[in-house]
Amino acid sequence: MRLKQLAAAVLGWCVLVGVAQAVGTTAGTSVANQAQVSYVLAGVPGNSTSNTTTFLVAEVLDLNVTLVSSTVTVSAGDTNRTLLFTLTNTGNGTEVFPVALDNLVAGDDFDPLAASTAVYFDTDGSGDLSVADVAYAAGINDPALAPDATVAVLLVNDIPAGLADGLIGRSRLLASAATGTGTPGVSFAGQGAGGTDAVVGANGAQANATGEYQLSEAQVTLSKSATVAGSGSSIAPTPGASITYQIVVNVAGSASATGLILTDAIPAGTTFTAGSLQLNGIALTDAADADVGEFQGGATPSVRVALGDLTQTAGPQTVAFTVTIN
Amino acid sequence: MKAKMDWLAGALLTLCATQAIAQDKGCILLKTVAEIEQITTDARGEQSTQLVPVEKIVPGNEVIYTVSATNICDQAAEHVVIDNPVPEHMIYVANSAIGPGTEVTFAIDGGFNFGKPEALKVASPDGSERKAEPADYTNIRWVMRNPLKPGDVAFARFRAVLE
Repeated sequence: MRLKQLAAAVLGWCVLVGVAQAVGTTAGTSVANQAQVSYVLAGVPGNSTSNTTTFLVAEVLDLNVTLVSSTVTVSAGDTNRTLLFTLTNTGNGTEVFPVALDNLVAGDDFDPLAASTAVYFDTDGSGDLSVADVAYAAGINDPALAPDATVAVLLVNDIPAGLADGLIGRSRLLASAATGTGTPGVSFAGQGAGGTDAVVGANGAQANATGEYQLSEAQVTLSKSATVAGSGSSIAPTPGASITYQIVVNVAGSASATGLILTDAIPAGTTFTAGSLQLNGIALTDAADADVGEFQGGATPSVRVALGDLTQTAGPQTVAFTVTIN
Repeated sequence: MKAKMDWLAGALLTLCATQAIAQDKGCILLKTVAEIEQITTDARGEQSTQLVPVEKIVPGNEVIYTVSATNICDQAAEHVVIDNPVPEHMIYVANSAIGPGTEVTFAIDGGFNFGKPEALKVASPDGSERKAEPADYTNIRWVMRNPLKPGDVAFARFRAVLE
């Protein structure tokens, strides 16, 4: 009582703040009470004290598992893709919490493949798998958490090959109190801190959270067409006629195609028409300069257009150039 | 000087011893019990609430403390005042302190100043004041309006929640 009185006398305001703690009084704490009485009997003051009642606070088995990662964007065939979770002891005694991974989550499009070692502690707090992170081994280094303590856990999965853009696969982290789980209120006699009973908390002394991987792929397609323009009335591909080639580049899917470069060889027996290179109808110079296009001469001449990073929303990109038949 | 000191120490010792005897042989026998409510359902499906001694308690549970004061002497005790601190780790439950024939007051300073709930003010760090909440209460006091006659028993009760 002395502590509480002091706190109340000095900083009554802080007592309220202390009350807001989620965990509550630590398991095994002894709570005592003693009353006193004063009186006057035949003009003589007297006083006496009561017996002291004492009880021990039992242990509540409670925990929380929270997903930290937002949806992880992956490509088919990726390896060691991580999901970050936190596990918090919301009970009032130090407790051991075995954890497990579950990839057979209903309602998703594919099952991620657990890596050979699929559960790690995010020991260095990087939020991602790194050399310093300690692998979890069930029954060997199950996390023992003091009340209110938290540990960061990583699930590590591979993504199956051949999956289409947009598909979702889920992976779940399960954790439970080692002392026992069950219906809230069920107790385990003598198994709590300090020999008290352990009582299953509101969530059944088990918790889980589910993370999500989503495929993000980009498909690049090209279509090439040719238009022959003859001299005079002739439109046959005869010497002297010109051919305009048009190449349409399309990007589909949710991902971005990065660093796209289109190169096309000038067909044998033809000559590139200087200044004919265009992107989306806008002329590009033949020289290797500030614009994205160039004509490369030599033994095997070609045109080259650096399209850069493209997404589906950029729409089709049309490259055109003209040659003359020798 | 030394002789004076010895005399003072002796006097203090005597005083303390006298008090101890007064406690042991007091005229009011004070008892306290800590109980929790247990709801039982009988064969007919009817529920009843019983008070049972605290055996298993977790944060958030409510404890009912009952203090009984019995006059074991053959003269009436006057100015009977029962004091009970709100136990450490417990929070007083608003309006739960009762005692037939008593006036109940509270302290928020560890038991130095008692008053009615509406009179208790807590100073905030910024200098302002606010009305004390039940969670601020540190002590409960029951003042009996009438003398406690020989053989009579007075009851005081309050509820508190385990933090």
